[in-house]
Amino acid sequence: MIPAVAGGREYPEPVVGWLSGRRWRFVAVLVLLAAFYSASWQLARVDPGKLVTGLPRMASWAAKAWPPATDELSVLLQRTAETVAMAAIGTTVAALLALPLCVLAARNVTPSLALYYPTRWFLNALRGIDSFVFALLFVAAVGLGPFAGVLGIALHTWGSTAKLWAEAIENIPPGPLEAAAATGASRLKVVAFALLPDVGPSMVSVGLFWWEFNVRASTVLGVVGAGGIGQELKNSMDLLLFPRLLTIIAIILVTVTVIDHTSEWLRRRLE
Amino acid sequence: MTDLGMNGMNGVIVHARGLTKRYPPDVAALTDVSFDVRRGELVAVLGPSGAGKTTLFRCLTRLTRPDAGTVSVDGREMSSAEGRELRAARHDVALIFQQFNLIRRLTALENVLVGRLPQVPTWRVLSRCFARADRQLALRCLDTVGLLDKADARADQLSGGQQQRVAIARALAQDAKVILADEPVASLDPESAAGVLGCLRAVASAGVAVVASLHQVHLAVAYADRILALRAGRLVEDAPVADVDARAIEQIYERNGVAATEPRA
Repeated sequence: MIPAVAGGREYPEPVVGWLSGRRWRFVAVLVLLAAFYSASWQLARVDPGKLVTGLPRMASWAAKAWPPATDELSVLLQRTAETVAMAAIGTTVAALLALPLCVLAARNVTPSLALYYPTRWFLNALRGIDSFVFALLFVAAVGLGPFAGVLGIALHTWGSTAKLWAEAIENIPPGPLEAAAATGASRLKVVAFALLPDVGPSMVSVGLFWWEFNVRASTVLGVVGAGGIGQELKNSMDLLLFPRLLTIIAIILVTVTVIDHTSEWLRRRLE
Repeated sequence: MTDLGMNGMNGVIVHARGLTKRYPPDVAALTDVSFDVRRGELVAVLGPSGAGKTTLFRCLTRLTRPDAGTVSVDGREMSSAEGRELRAARHDVALIFQQFNLIRRLTALENVLVGRLPQVPTWRVLSRCFARADRQLALRCLDTVGLLDKADARADQLSGGQQQRVAIARALAQDAKVILADEPVASLDPESAAGVLGCLRAVASAGVAVVASLHQVHLAVAYADRILALRAGRLVEDAPVADVDARAIEQIYERNGVAATEPRA
Protein backbone atom coordinates (compact mmCIF):
# COMPACT_ATOMS: atom_id res chain seq x y z
CA MET A 1 0.00 0.00 0.00
CA ILE A 2 1.23 3.51 -0.65
CA PRO A 3 2.62 5.11 2.49
CA ALA A 4 -0.08 7.81 2.77
CA VAL A 5 -2.84 5.25 3.43
CA ALA A 6 -0.77 2.47 5.00
CA GLY A 7 -2.03 3.00 8.54
CA GLY A 8 -0.45 4.80 11.45
CA ARG A 9 -2.38 7.12 13.68
CA GLU A 10 -5.98 6.55 14.82
CA TYR A 11 -8.51 9.13 13.49
CA PRO A 12 -11.53 10.23 15.48
CA GLU A 13 -14.73 9.19 13.64
CA PRO A 14 -17.81 11.38 13.27
CA VAL A 15 -20.10 10.45 16.18
CA VAL A 16 -23.71 9.46 15.37
CA GLY A 17 -25.76 9.10 18.54
CA TRP A 18 -28.68 6.66 18.86
CA LEU A 19 -31.17 9.48 18.94
CA SER A 20 -29.35 11.82 16.58
CA GLY A 21 -31.38 14.10 14.31
CA ARG A 22 -30.69 11.92 11.28
CA ARG A 23 -31.94 8.69 12.89
CA TRP A 24 -34.92 10.44 14.40
CA ARG A 25 -35.98 11.79 11.01
CA PHE A 26 -35.67 8.33 9.46
CA VAL A 27 -37.96 6.82 12.11
CA ALA A 28 -40.44 9.69 11.72
CA VAL A 29 -40.59 9.13 7.95
CA LEU A 30 -41.23 5.41 8.48
CA VAL A 31 -44.07 6.14 10.93
CA LEU A 32 -45.62 8.68 8.55
CA LEU A 33 -45.47 6.25 5.63
CA ALA A 34 -47.06 3.49 7.70
CA ALA A 35 -49.87 5.83 8.77
CA PHE A 36 -50.41 6.96 5.19
CA TYR A 37 -50.68 3.42 3.81
CA SER A 38 -52.93 2.12 6.56
CA ALA A 39 -55.30 5.08 6.06
CA SER A 40 -55.24 4.54 2.30
CA TRP A 41 -55.95 0.83 2.74
CA GLN A 42 -59.05 1.72 4.80
CA LEU A 43 -60.23 4.44 2.43
CA ALA A 44 -59.81 2.24 -0.65
CA ARG A 45 -61.73 -0.53 1.14
CA VAL A 46 -59.27 -3.15 0.03
CA ASP A 47 -60.82 -6.58 0.60
CA PRO A 48 -58.84 -9.54 -0.78
CA GLY A 49 -61.72 -11.83 0.25
CA LYS A 50 -63.96 -10.30 -2.39
CA LEU A 51 -61.28 -10.88 -4.99
CA VAL A 52 -61.13 -14.55 -4.02
CA THR A 53 -64.87 -14.96 -4.59
CA GLY A 54 -64.91 -12.69 -7.66
CA LEU A 55 -62.09 -14.28 -9.62
CA PRO A 56 -63.92 -17.57 -10.36
CA ARG A 57 -66.82 -15.48 -11.66
CA MET A 58 -64.48 -13.73 -14.09
CA ALA A 59 -63.03 -17.07 -15.08
CA SER A 60 -66.49 -18.38 -15.91
CA TRP A 61 -67.09 -15.29 -18.09
CA ALA A 62 -63.83 -15.96 -19.86
CA ALA A 63 -64.97 -19.53 -20.50
CA LYS A 64 -68.29 -18.27 -21.87
CA ALA A 65 -66.50 -15.70 -24.06
CA TRP A 66 -64.94 -18.32 -26.32
CA PRO A 67 -65.30 -18.30 -29.29
CA PRO A 68 -65.29 -14.52 -29.81
CA ALA A 69 -68.27 -13.10 -31.74
CA THR A 70 -67.47 -12.16 -35.33
CA ASP A 71 -70.93 -11.39 -36.70
CA GLU A 72 -70.71 -7.64 -35.91
CA LEU A 73 -67.06 -7.19 -36.86
CA SER A 74 -67.72 -4.43 -39.39
CA VAL A 75 -69.69 -2.35 -36.88
CA LEU A 76 -66.99 -2.80 -34.24
CA LEU A 77 -64.24 -1.85 -36.69
CA GLN A 78 -66.17 1.24 -37.67
CA ARG A 79 -66.47 2.17 -33.98
CA THR A 80 -62.73 1.61 -33.53
CA ALA A 81 -62.03 3.89 -36.47
CA GLU A 82 -64.26 6.43 -34.73
CA THR A 83 -62.08 6.19 -31.61
CA VAL A 84 -58.83 6.66 -33.55
CA ALA A 85 -60.38 9.58 -35.44
CA MET A 86 -61.54 11.20 -32.18
CA ALA A 87 -58.03 10.97 -30.81
CA ALA A 88 -56.46 12.31 -34.01
CA ILE A 89 -58.80 15.32 -34.37
CA GLY A 90 -58.74 16.07 -30.64
CA THR A 91 -54.96 15.93 -30.46
CA THR A 92 -54.51 18.02 -33.61
CA VAL A 93 -56.91 20.72 -32.45
CA ALA A 94 -55.11 20.71 -29.08
CA ALA A 95 -51.73 21.08 -30.80
CA LEU A 96 -52.92 24.04 -32.90
CA LEU A 97 -54.30 25.75 -29.81
CA ALA A 98 -51.15 24.94 -27.82
CA LEU A 99 -48.80 26.48 -30.40
CA PRO A 100 -49.31 30.15 -29.46
CA LEU A 101 -49.74 29.44 -25.75
CA CYS A 102 -46.53 27.46 -25.32
CA VAL A 103 -44.58 30.55 -26.41
CA LEU A 104 -46.36 32.66 -23.79
CA ALA A 105 -45.80 29.96 -21.17
CA ALA A 106 -42.04 29.59 -21.73
CA ARG A 107 -40.03 31.86 -19.47
CA ASN A 108 -37.22 32.47 -21.95
CA VAL A 109 -39.37 33.67 -24.86
CA THR A 110 -42.56 35.01 -23.27
CA PRO A 111 -43.14 38.66 -24.18
CA SER A 112 -43.98 39.51 -20.57
CA LEU A 113 -44.44 37.87 -17.19
CA ALA A 114 -47.90 39.45 -17.07
CA LEU A 115 -48.80 36.95 -19.82
CA TYR A 116 -46.63 34.12 -18.54
CA TYR A 117 -48.37 33.56 -15.20
CA PRO A 118 -52.02 33.68 -16.36
CA THR A 119 -51.13 31.37 -19.25
CA ARG A 120 -49.52 28.88 -16.88
CA TRP A 121 -52.57 28.97 -14.58
CA PHE A 122 -54.94 28.46 -17.50
CA LEU A 123 -52.91 25.53 -18.87
CA ASN A 124 -52.65 23.94 -15.43
CA ALA A 125 -56.43 24.14 -15.07
CA LEU A 126 -56.92 22.40 -18.43
CA ARG A 127 -54.35 19.79 -17.53
CA GLY A 128 -55.83 19.20 -14.11
CA ILE A 129 -59.20 18.14 -15.53
CA ASP A 130 -59.12 14.78 -17.29
CA SER A 131 -60.51 14.43 -20.81
CA PHE A 132 -62.97 11.93 -19.35
CA VAL A 133 -64.44 14.66 -17.10
CA PHE A 134 -64.51 17.17 -19.94
CA ALA A 135 -66.26 14.60 -22.15
CA LEU A 136 -68.88 14.07 -19.43
CA LEU A 137 -69.62 17.81 -19.45
CA PHE A 138 -69.68 18.01 -23.24
CA VAL A 139 -72.04 15.05 -23.59
CA ALA A 140 -74.47 17.12 -21.54
CA ALA A 141 -73.78 20.24 -23.62
CA VAL A 142 -73.52 18.98 -27.22
CA GLY A 143 -75.23 15.59 -26.88
CA LEU A 144 -74.11 11.97 -27.15
CA GLY A 145 -71.55 10.95 -29.75
CA PRO A 146 -67.88 11.19 -30.66
CA PHE A 147 -67.88 15.00 -31.01
CA ALA A 148 -68.20 15.34 -27.22
CA GLY A 149 -65.17 13.03 -26.97
CA VAL A 150 -63.19 15.13 -29.43
CA LEU A 151 -63.86 18.24 -27.34
CA GLY A 152 -62.93 16.49 -24.13
CA ILE A 153 -59.65 15.22 -25.56
CA ALA A 154 -58.84 18.57 -27.16
CA LEU A 155 -59.22 20.58 -23.94
CA HIS A 156 -57.19 18.29 -21.70
CA THR A 157 -54.49 17.69 -24.32
CA TRP A 158 -54.30 21.44 -25.03
CA GLY A 159 -53.11 22.09 -21.47
CA SER A 160 -50.79 19.08 -21.31
CA THR A 161 -49.16 19.63 -24.70
CA ALA A 162 -48.63 23.36 -24.22
CA LYS A 163 -46.98 22.75 -20.85
CA LEU A 164 -44.60 20.08 -22.19
CA TRP A 165 -43.80 22.23 -25.22
CA ALA A 166 -43.10 25.24 -23.00
CA GLU A 167 -40.68 23.08 -21.01
CA ALA A 168 -38.96 21.95 -24.22
CA ILE A 169 -38.58 25.61 -25.23
CA GLU A 170 -37.16 26.55 -21.84
CA ASN A 171 -34.51 23.86 -22.21
CA ILE A 172 -32.96 25.03 -25.46
CA PRO A 173 -29.62 26.88 -25.34
CA PRO A 174 -30.15 30.68 -25.22
CA GLY A 175 -27.22 31.63 -27.46
CA PRO A 176 -28.73 31.07 -30.92
CA LEU A 177 -31.92 32.92 -29.93
CA GLU A 178 -29.89 35.82 -28.62
CA ALA A 179 -27.89 35.86 -31.84
CA ALA A 180 -31.04 35.97 -33.97
CA ALA A 181 -32.63 38.64 -31.75
CA ALA A 182 -29.44 40.71 -31.88
CA THR A 183 -29.91 41.22 -35.64
CA GLY A 184 -32.93 43.34 -34.70
CA ALA A 185 -35.45 40.78 -35.99
CA SER A 186 -38.93 40.79 -34.46
CA ARG A 187 -39.93 38.26 -31.81
CA LEU A 188 -42.25 36.39 -34.17
CA LYS A 189 -39.45 35.94 -36.73
CA VAL A 190 -37.00 34.79 -34.07
CA VAL A 191 -39.49 32.25 -32.73
CA ALA A 192 -40.39 30.97 -36.19
CA PHE A 193 -36.90 30.73 -37.60
CA ALA A 194 -34.48 30.26 -34.70
CA LEU A 195 -36.65 28.55 -32.10
CA LEU A 196 -38.91 26.20 -34.06
CA PRO A 197 -36.16 24.29 -35.89
CA ASP A 198 -34.51 23.61 -32.56
CA VAL A 199 -37.55 22.42 -30.61
CA GLY A 200 -39.65 21.25 -33.57
CA PRO A 201 -38.65 17.57 -33.40
CA SER A 202 -39.25 17.29 -29.66
CA MET A 203 -42.57 19.10 -30.11
CA VAL A 204 -43.69 16.64 -32.78
CA SER A 205 -42.55 13.83 -30.53
CA VAL A 206 -44.69 15.16 -27.67
CA GLY A 207 -47.65 15.52 -30.05
CA LEU A 208 -47.31 11.90 -31.22
CA PHE A 209 -47.11 10.74 -27.63
CA TRP A 210 -50.40 12.49 -26.85
CA TRP A 211 -52.10 11.05 -29.92
CA GLU A 212 -51.04 7.57 -28.84
CA PHE A 213 -52.10 8.31 -25.26
CA ASN A 214 -55.46 9.66 -26.42
CA VAL A 215 -56.24 6.59 -28.52
CA ARG A 216 -55.85 4.55 -25.33
CA ALA A 217 -57.78 7.09 -23.25
CA SER A 218 -60.62 7.44 -25.73
CA THR A 219 -61.39 3.71 -25.69
CA VAL A 220 -63.13 4.44 -22.39
CA LEU A 221 -64.72 7.75 -23.40
CA GLY A 222 -67.63 5.77 -24.83
CA VAL A 223 -68.54 4.80 -21.29
CA VAL A 224 -69.82 8.35 -20.68
CA GLY A 225 -71.56 8.34 -24.05
CA ALA A 226 -68.85 10.07 -26.04
CA GLY A 227 -68.85 7.56 -28.91
CA GLY A 228 -66.24 5.15 -30.21
CA ILE A 229 -65.47 1.56 -29.32
CA GLY A 230 -65.88 2.31 -25.59
CA GLN A 231 -69.61 2.66 -26.09
CA GLU A 232 -69.81 -0.87 -27.57
CA LEU A 233 -67.64 -2.12 -24.71
CA LYS A 234 -70.08 -0.74 -22.14
CA ASN A 235 -73.15 -2.06 -24.00
CA SER A 236 -71.69 -5.56 -24.20
CA MET A 237 -70.77 -5.52 -20.53
CA ASP A 238 -74.24 -4.31 -19.54
CA LEU A 239 -75.87 -7.07 -21.59
CA LEU A 240 -73.29 -9.68 -20.48
CA LEU A 241 -72.43 -10.45 -24.13
CA PHE A 242 -69.05 -12.00 -23.33
CA PRO A 243 -68.03 -13.25 -26.81
CA ARG A 244 -68.67 -9.74 -28.14
CA LEU A 245 -66.71 -8.26 -25.21
CA LEU A 246 -63.75 -10.50 -26.03
CA THR A 247 -63.78 -9.38 -29.68
CA ILE A 248 -63.85 -5.72 -28.60
CA ILE A 249 -60.97 -6.14 -26.17
CA ALA A 250 -58.94 -7.95 -28.84
CA ILE A 251 -59.60 -5.16 -31.37
CA ILE A 252 -58.58 -2.51 -28.82
CA LEU A 253 -55.35 -4.40 -28.01
CA VAL A 254 -54.39 -4.74 -31.67
CA THR A 255 -55.21 -1.11 -32.46
CA VAL A 256 -53.34 0.30 -29.48
CA THR A 257 -50.31 -1.90 -30.20
CA VAL A 258 -50.18 -0.89 -33.86
CA ILE A 259 -50.49 2.79 -32.99
CA ASP A 260 -47.92 2.59 -30.18
CA HIS A 261 -45.42 1.04 -32.55
CA THR A 262 -46.14 3.46 -35.39
CA SER A 263 -45.77 6.43 -33.08
CA GLU A 264 -42.59 5.04 -31.55
CA TRP A 265 -41.13 4.40 -35.00
CA LEU A 266 -41.98 7.95 -36.12
CA ARG A 267 -40.53 9.45 -32.96
CA ARG A 268 -37.31 7.52 -33.36
CA ARG A 269 -36.97 8.80 -36.93
CA LEU A 270 -37.21 12.42 -35.80
CA GLU A 271 -33.71 12.55 -34.36
CA MET B 1 -28.31 60.76 -42.32
CA THR B 2 -26.07 57.82 -43.11
CA ASP B 3 -23.88 59.76 -45.50
CA LEU B 4 -23.67 62.70 -43.17
CA GLY B 5 -22.43 60.39 -40.45
CA MET B 6 -19.74 58.90 -42.60
CA ASN B 7 -18.46 61.96 -44.41
CA GLY B 8 -18.88 64.34 -41.56
CA MET B 9 -16.63 62.31 -39.28
CA ASN B 10 -13.95 60.90 -41.59
CA GLY B 11 -15.51 57.48 -41.89
CA VAL B 12 -16.03 57.07 -38.17
CA ILE B 13 -18.60 54.33 -37.64
CA VAL B 14 -18.44 53.71 -33.92
CA HIS B 15 -18.20 56.78 -31.77
CA ALA B 16 -17.99 56.05 -28.04
CA ARG B 17 -17.55 58.82 -25.48
CA GLY B 18 -17.11 58.60 -21.74
CA LEU B 19 -18.61 55.13 -21.33
CA THR B 20 -18.95 54.33 -17.65
CA LYS B 21 -20.58 51.34 -16.04
CA ARG B 22 -20.55 50.26 -12.42
CA TYR B 23 -21.99 47.07 -11.00
CA PRO B 24 -23.15 47.27 -7.41
CA PRO B 25 -21.73 47.41 -4.86
CA ASP B 26 -18.38 48.79 -6.05
CA VAL B 27 -17.18 47.16 -9.28
CA ALA B 28 -16.13 49.76 -11.79
CA ALA B 29 -16.55 47.70 -14.97
CA LEU B 30 -15.89 50.65 -17.26
CA THR B 31 -14.61 54.09 -16.42
CA ASP B 32 -14.72 56.95 -18.93
CA VAL B 33 -13.88 54.91 -22.03
CA SER B 34 -13.77 56.88 -25.29
CA PHE B 35 -12.69 55.76 -28.75
CA ASP B 36 -13.63 55.80 -32.42
CA VAL B 37 -13.63 53.02 -34.98
CA ARG B 38 -13.50 53.87 -38.66
CA ARG B 39 -14.80 51.90 -41.58
CA GLY B 40 -12.30 49.42 -42.95
CA GLU B 41 -10.54 49.17 -39.63
CA LEU B 42 -9.96 46.04 -37.53
CA VAL B 43 -9.57 47.02 -33.90
CA ALA B 44 -8.45 44.49 -31.33
CA VAL B 45 -9.50 44.92 -27.72
CA LEU B 46 -7.04 43.38 -25.29
CA GLY B 47 -7.20 42.98 -21.57
CA PRO B 48 -7.20 40.32 -18.88
CA SER B 49 -10.41 38.68 -17.71
CA GLY B 50 -12.44 41.16 -15.71
CA ALA B 51 -10.92 44.16 -17.48
CA GLY B 52 -14.30 45.18 -18.89
CA LYS B 53 -14.16 43.81 -22.45
CA THR B 54 -17.52 42.06 -22.33
CA THR B 55 -19.18 45.02 -20.59
CA LEU B 56 -17.77 47.24 -23.33
CA PHE B 57 -19.31 45.03 -26.04
CA ARG B 58 -22.63 44.88 -24.21
CA CYS B 59 -22.69 48.66 -23.96
CA LEU B 60 -21.91 49.01 -27.67
CA THR B 61 -24.96 46.88 -28.54
CA ARG B 62 -27.05 48.28 -25.70
CA LEU B 63 -27.57 44.84 -24.21
CA THR B 64 -26.33 46.76 -21.17
CA ARG B 65 -27.15 50.41 -20.62
CA PRO B 66 -24.08 52.46 -19.60
CA ASP B 67 -24.40 54.61 -16.49
CA ALA B 68 -22.83 57.48 -18.36
CA GLY B 69 -21.45 58.22 -21.80
CA THR B 70 -22.77 57.81 -25.32
CA VAL B 71 -22.36 55.42 -28.23
CA SER B 72 -23.37 56.21 -31.76
CA VAL B 73 -23.11 53.88 -34.73
CA ASP B 74 -22.91 55.50 -38.11
CA GLY B 75 -24.30 58.71 -36.63
CA ARG B 76 -27.23 56.96 -34.99
CA GLU B 77 -27.43 57.35 -31.23
CA MET B 78 -27.52 53.91 -29.55
CA SER B 79 -27.35 54.85 -25.90
CA SER B 80 -30.77 56.53 -25.70
CA ALA B 81 -32.73 54.51 -28.31
CA GLU B 82 -35.66 52.39 -27.18
CA GLY B 83 -37.99 49.77 -28.65
CA ARG B 84 -38.40 49.97 -32.41
CA GLU B 85 -35.72 52.62 -32.74
CA LEU B 86 -33.22 50.45 -30.86
CA ARG B 87 -34.09 47.44 -33.01
CA ALA B 88 -33.49 49.50 -36.11
CA ALA B 89 -30.18 50.72 -34.71
CA ARG B 90 -29.14 47.12 -34.02
CA HIS B 91 -29.43 46.31 -37.74
CA ASP B 92 -26.19 48.23 -38.14
CA VAL B 93 -24.35 46.21 -35.51
CA ALA B 94 -23.59 42.53 -36.06
CA LEU B 95 -22.40 40.30 -33.26
CA ILE B 96 -20.08 37.32 -33.32
CA PHE B 97 -19.91 35.14 -30.22
CA GLN B 98 -17.26 32.94 -28.68
CA GLN B 99 -19.68 29.99 -28.87
CA PHE B 100 -20.78 30.79 -32.49
CA ASN B 101 -24.48 30.49 -31.53
CA LEU B 102 -25.63 28.95 -34.78
CA ILE B 103 -28.98 27.19 -34.96
CA ARG B 104 -27.88 23.56 -34.84
CA ARG B 105 -30.54 21.97 -37.00
CA LEU B 106 -30.45 24.54 -39.79
CA THR B 107 -28.02 24.43 -42.70
CA ALA B 108 -25.13 26.84 -43.01
CA LEU B 109 -27.08 28.72 -45.68
CA GLU B 110 -30.16 29.05 -43.48
CA ASN B 111 -28.01 30.25 -40.61
CA VAL B 112 -26.58 32.96 -42.83
CA LEU B 113 -30.13 33.95 -43.79
CA VAL B 114 -30.76 34.73 -40.10
CA GLY B 115 -28.84 37.92 -40.82
CA ARG B 116 -31.57 38.88 -43.29
CA LEU B 117 -34.49 38.31 -40.88
CA PRO B 118 -35.16 41.97 -40.04
CA GLN B 119 -35.68 42.89 -43.71
CA VAL B 120 -37.49 39.77 -44.93
CA PRO B 121 -41.32 39.92 -44.83
CA THR B 122 -42.82 37.89 -42.01
CA TRP B 123 -44.74 35.52 -44.30
CA ARG B 124 -41.50 34.56 -46.03
CA VAL B 125 -39.89 33.78 -42.67
CA LEU B 126 -42.88 31.72 -41.56
CA SER B 127 -42.96 29.73 -44.81
CA ARG B 128 -39.13 29.51 -44.99
CA CYS B 129 -39.41 30.72 -48.53
CA PHE B 130 -36.73 33.36 -48.99
CA ALA B 131 -36.49 35.59 -52.05
CA ARG B 132 -33.89 34.69 -54.64
CA ALA B 133 -31.99 37.91 -53.96
CA ASP B 134 -31.63 37.03 -50.28
CA ARG B 135 -30.53 33.48 -51.04
CA GLN B 136 -27.95 34.74 -53.53
CA LEU B 137 -26.64 37.27 -51.03
CA ALA B 138 -26.32 34.57 -48.38
CA LEU B 139 -24.42 32.33 -50.79
CA ARG B 140 -22.11 35.23 -51.64
CA CYS B 141 -21.43 35.71 -47.92
CA LEU B 142 -20.61 32.02 -47.55
CA ASP B 143 -18.28 32.28 -50.54
CA THR B 144 -16.55 35.23 -48.87
CA VAL B 145 -15.71 33.13 -45.82
CA GLY B 146 -14.71 30.19 -48.04
CA LEU B 147 -17.57 27.85 -47.15
CA LEU B 148 -19.63 27.83 -50.35
CA ASP B 149 -19.27 24.05 -50.53
CA LYS B 150 -20.80 23.69 -47.06
CA ALA B 151 -23.96 25.70 -47.82
CA ASP B 152 -26.16 22.65 -47.45
CA ALA B 153 -24.44 21.10 -44.42
CA ARG B 154 -26.17 21.19 -41.08
CA ALA B 155 -24.55 23.61 -38.63
CA ASP B 156 -23.91 20.93 -36.02
CA GLN B 157 -21.90 18.92 -38.55
CA LEU B 158 -19.34 21.68 -39.09
CA SER B 159 -16.09 22.07 -37.18
CA GLY B 160 -15.67 24.90 -34.67
CA GLY B 161 -13.68 27.01 -37.09
CA GLN B 162 -16.22 26.46 -39.86
CA GLN B 163 -19.09 27.35 -37.53
CA GLN B 164 -17.39 30.60 -36.60
CA ARG B 165 -16.91 31.42 -40.29
CA VAL B 166 -20.63 30.77 -40.85
CA ALA B 167 -21.26 33.20 -37.98
CA ILE B 168 -19.12 35.76 -39.81
CA ALA B 169 -21.12 35.14 -42.98
CA ARG B 170 -24.30 35.69 -40.96
CA ALA B 171 -22.90 39.01 -39.74
CA LEU B 172 -22.03 39.93 -43.34
CA ALA B 173 -25.53 39.06 -44.53
CA GLN B 174 -26.87 41.47 -41.95
CA ASP B 175 -25.16 44.19 -43.99
CA ALA B 176 -24.07 45.84 -40.76
CA LYS B 177 -21.78 48.85 -40.54
CA VAL B 178 -19.84 47.31 -37.69
CA ILE B 179 -19.10 43.76 -36.62
CA LEU B 180 -18.41 43.17 -32.94
CA ALA B 181 -16.68 39.90 -32.11
CA ASP B 182 -16.42 38.96 -28.43
CA GLU B 183 -13.51 36.52 -28.14
CA PRO B 184 -14.25 34.96 -31.54
CA VAL B 185 -11.27 32.58 -31.45
CA ALA B 186 -11.09 31.75 -27.75
CA SER B 187 -12.53 28.26 -28.24
CA LEU B 188 -10.70 27.43 -31.48
CA ASP B 189 -7.43 25.69 -32.25
CA PRO B 190 -4.63 27.90 -33.64
CA GLU B 191 -5.20 26.93 -37.27
CA SER B 192 -8.96 27.61 -37.15
CA ALA B 193 -8.28 30.82 -35.23
CA ALA B 194 -6.01 32.00 -38.04
CA GLY B 195 -8.74 31.18 -40.57
CA VAL B 196 -11.37 33.13 -38.64
CA LEU B 197 -9.14 36.15 -38.06
CA GLY B 198 -8.13 36.07 -41.73
CA CYS B 199 -11.82 36.28 -42.59
CA LEU B 200 -12.40 39.21 -40.23
CA ARG B 201 -9.35 40.93 -41.69
CA ALA B 202 -10.76 40.55 -45.21
CA VAL B 203 -14.18 41.77 -44.07
CA ALA B 204 -12.62 44.87 -42.53
CA SER B 205 -10.65 45.54 -45.68
CA ALA B 206 -13.90 45.38 -47.61
CA GLY B 207 -15.14 48.43 -45.71
CA VAL B 208 -16.73 47.21 -42.49
CA ALA B 209 -15.61 48.36 -39.06
CA VAL B 210 -14.57 45.32 -37.01
CA VAL B 211 -13.97 45.27 -33.27
CA ALA B 212 -12.72 41.99 -31.81
CA SER B 213 -11.65 41.16 -28.30
CA LEU B 214 -8.71 38.79 -28.18
CA HIS B 215 -6.60 37.17 -25.53
CA GLN B 216 -3.44 36.64 -27.54
CA VAL B 217 -1.30 39.69 -28.11
CA HIS B 218 0.53 38.10 -31.05
CA LEU B 219 -2.75 37.57 -32.91
CA ALA B 220 -3.73 41.19 -32.30
CA VAL B 221 -0.38 42.35 -33.63
CA ALA B 222 -0.67 40.07 -36.67
CA TYR B 223 -4.22 40.91 -37.74
CA ALA B 224 -5.39 44.21 -36.24
CA ASP B 225 -4.87 47.78 -37.43
CA ARG B 226 -5.24 49.24 -34.00
CA ILE B 227 -5.16 48.00 -30.44
CA LEU B 228 -7.30 49.13 -27.53
CA ALA B 229 -6.12 47.85 -24.17
CA LEU B 230 -8.32 47.78 -21.11
CA ARG B 231 -7.23 47.35 -17.56
CA ALA B 232 -9.64 47.43 -14.65
CA GLY B 233 -12.23 49.18 -16.77
CA ARG B 234 -9.95 51.94 -18.02
CA LEU B 235 -8.62 52.39 -21.52
CA VAL B 236 -4.86 52.28 -21.06
CA GLU B 237 -3.80 52.10 -24.70
CA ASP B 238 -5.30 53.19 -28.00
CA ALA B 239 -2.76 53.14 -30.80
CA PRO B 240 -2.05 51.76 -34.28
CA VAL B 241 -0.37 48.37 -34.14
CA ALA B 242 2.87 49.79 -35.55
CA ASP B 243 3.16 52.23 -32.64
CA VAL B 244 2.38 49.71 -29.94
CA ASP B 245 5.13 48.29 -27.83
CA ALA B 246 4.21 44.65 -27.50
CA ARG B 247 6.00 44.41 -24.18
CA ALA B 248 3.99 47.29 -22.75
CA ILE B 249 0.83 45.43 -23.77
CA GLU B 250 2.04 42.22 -22.20
CA GLN B 251 2.33 44.16 -18.97
CA ILE B 252 -1.39 44.67 -18.66
CA TYR B 253 -1.70 40.93 -18.27
CA GLU B 254 0.83 40.74 -15.48
CA ARG B 255 -0.49 39.37 -12.27
CA ASN B 256 0.64 42.25 -10.07
CA GLY B 257 -0.93 44.83 -12.29
CA VAL B 258 -4.23 42.97 -12.26
CA ALA B 259 -4.29 42.21 -8.57
CA ALA B 260 -3.43 45.80 -7.66
CA THR B 261 -6.08 47.45 -9.81
CA GLU B 262 -8.90 44.98 -10.30
CA PRO B 263 -11.78 45.88 -8.04
CA ARG B 264 -13.04 43.07 -5.84
CA ALA B 265 -16.57 42.83 -4.53
